[in-house]
Amino acid sequence: MSRNEDKELFPSLWDSLSSLRLTIALLIILSVASIFGTVIPQNASPEEYLEVYKITTYKILRILGFLDMYHAGWFIFLLALLCLNLIACSLKRFRTTLRFLTPELRLDDGQWKTHSPGNKFTQNGLPAQVLPGIRETLVRSFSPPRVVEASPAFHLFAEKGRFSRLGVYFIHLSVLVILGGSLIGSFYGFRGNVNIMEGQEADQVILRNGEHIHFPGFNVSLEKFSVSFYPTGAPKEFKSILTIREGGRKVLTEPILVNHPLTYKGISFYQSTYGLAGVERVILNIKDRESGKEVSLPAMMGNRTEIPGALSAFSLSHFLPDIKGMGPAFQVILSEPNQPQQKFLILQNHPEFEEKRPGRYSFMIKEIEPKYYSGLQVTRDPGVWVVWAGCFIMIAGFYMTFFMSHRRVWIRLTENGAATLIEIAGSSHRDRTGFEKEFQKIRQALNDSPMGLKEVKESEGH
Amino acid sequence: MISAKMVSSVTFLYLACAVLYFNYFAFRSEQLGKFATGLSWITLLLHTAAILWRWVESYQLGIGRAPLTNMYESLVFFSWCIALLYLLWERKIKSRIIGAVAMPFAFLFIAFASLAPGIFSDRIDPLIPALQSNWLHAHVITCFLGYAAFAISCGVSIMYLMKIRKKEQGKKESGWTALFPPLEFLDDLIYKTIAVGFPMLTIGIITGAAWANYAWGSYWSWDPKETWSLITWFVYAVFLHARFTREWRGKRAAFISIIGFVAVIFTYFGVNYLLAGLHSYV
Repeated sequence: MSRNEDKELFPSLWDSLSSLRLTIALLIILSVASIFGTVIPQNASPEEYLEVYKITTYKILRILGFLDMYHAGWFIFLLALLCLNLIACSLKRFRTTLRFLTPELRLDDGQWKTHSPGNKFTQNGLPAQVLPGIRETLVRSFSPPRVVEASPAFHLFAEKGRFSRLGVYFIHLSVLVILGGSLIGSFYGFRGNVNIMEGQEADQVILRNGEHIHFPGFNVSLEKFSVSFYPTGAPKEFKSILTIREGGRKVLTEPILVNHPLTYKGISFYQSTYGLAGVERVILNIKDRESGKEVSLPAMMGNRTEIPGALSAFSLSHFLPDIKGMGPAFQVILSEPNQPQQKFLILQNHPEFEEKRPGRYSFMIKEIEPKYYSGLQVTRDPGVWVVWAGCFIMIAGFYMTFFMSHRRVWIRLTENGAATLIEIAGSSHRDRTGFEKEFQKIRQALNDSPMGLKEVKESEGH
Repeated sequence: MISAKMVSSVTFLYLACAVLYFNYFAFRSEQLGKFATGLSWITLLLHTAAILWRWVESYQLGIGRAPLTNMYESLVFFSWCIALLYLLWERKIKSRIIGAVAMPFAFLFIAFASLAPGIFSDRIDPLIPALQSNWLHAHVITCFLGYAAFAISCGVSIMYLMKIRKKEQGKKESGWTALFPPLEFLDDLIYKTIAVGFPMLTIGIITGAAWANYAWGSYWSWDPKETWSLITWFVYAVFLHARFTREWRGKRAAFISIIGFVAVIFTYFGVNYLLAGLHSYV
């Protein structure tokens, strides 16, 4: 089906789709809509919205899709329409561009008049004798020309930066490629979070919609998490040392930091958050009130620890990260010979409670070695390379569009008695002042060439 | 800190440059113009030295990072970009007229940094983990070069609108606007500055996306800063397309260029102080 039939079927549709006014309107609507998206918090919980909005406002915003606006149907529709518009405009314009891409080897007389006022020279000899010298000069001062013989005349055509005409299409294409890449990401990729405790492993990630995704044939364990701070109190480094195992076999161990993710089999792990998961070890000072002796003992959570020199033993059964704002506390279970088991709490920041507790032993917490969990963002995005390719095309397109231009030079050699009339013409589709200088250089080169050219003044030429 | 004192002195020099360009503009004395250009290059040189010295100072403090990471430093750098771009343009187009709108911008932003120490701290703090990346340099430099080109374009657009307003009122050209260059020259310059700013902003957004992908695992998350940079990009895209339509070129295009710079300023300041998001440093 040809384009004309298309036009008859949907005359107004094609015209509206390929109109620049639609482009401008869509860009303005998308901008204004995006402003709303930055003012209205996106994807918050209903409670958070109700703190800010009345219930009716909240409901209206929800129905209109303003709470997850960038994924709302109407926003996607606008983006899709922009893509269609961009394709239609490009197709419409491309026919004109194509004309400039095929070399215009010779100009007709009308074009000569517009392109070359007063650029005429004469040289002794026939056009065929003059040609090699002129061609040589053009190669040197501009670019190698193509020659068309129209005996006894010759037409020379040289051009530079022809493909800069395609720059705008590269930019338009890149927008489609980038959006295509993001579509691939949203269909075939995922994004989720996983918290792993030190010493533990994970073989799946839970997405925001509750879906579980298993890592393909491997699992990840967190060897160690560490956090360090600057003297100012600002964080300096968050580091998780991860090990990947396949079927129980260690494949690799690597630290990840913010800005240093780990990618394995297409799945990337990013350092995202961290937190206190529990206690690795506690150093306790235990005082025997009968003998007055004090010992320092390390204790693992849940393990039975014997108090040296006695038949007594204790274990730490519970860890409370913060008890009623008084800081961390542990529940101790103490067994002494011939006595019922005792359970009591000890607080790190309030040893005075322990001093008041009766009994043979008193427990003081000297040091808590924390056990961290690391919150990892886990993503797979097979579209990301498409997006980068699109970005690359866009930058190339900008370079072609804004910093290059299609410059063309024509030279015509015609017989003029025993001499040859040399006329030159030039045009550039952009940066005319820049081309003006380049053109003058070519003229100068012709003038300076040792072939004995004579410039024909405007008055003589006409 | 010595660098902060240097920045303060440079601020006053920019004021002097702006005044000189205004006088050149009013009196068109070639000597005054040359003096304005000369002083501006010297000011830019000192400004460069101040930025480099701040870099050295960060090493002396045992921190060692490029001075591009907080509001104070970004304002100082923004002003530097405006002065640099303007002076390069002046050489290229061989006209000093735009100095009267470009230099006040350079002065304004550096003054904002150096004269209001209560608002923006000039302390050199070490980098938090999210900022410890080489993408930072490419991202910040390209964004601010883009912003600087847009600042100049905004200044020229204001000149354009003032001049065309006088013309439309049918008055004989007199006063300030008579001294402005012709409308076509201004229109062309608005386009040329945006033709530099737009690719720079694009590269700034792309490097930002690449960085976000390394740091947060997502190249685009519709964070307010990202979204506003996209809005800015849309506005200038409208400008570039508007030039191809009859009813949108000229006056409306100049107007869009001013709206574009308002969007730049909101992306730069507004997002940080009015909206919450991931991009809370600058």
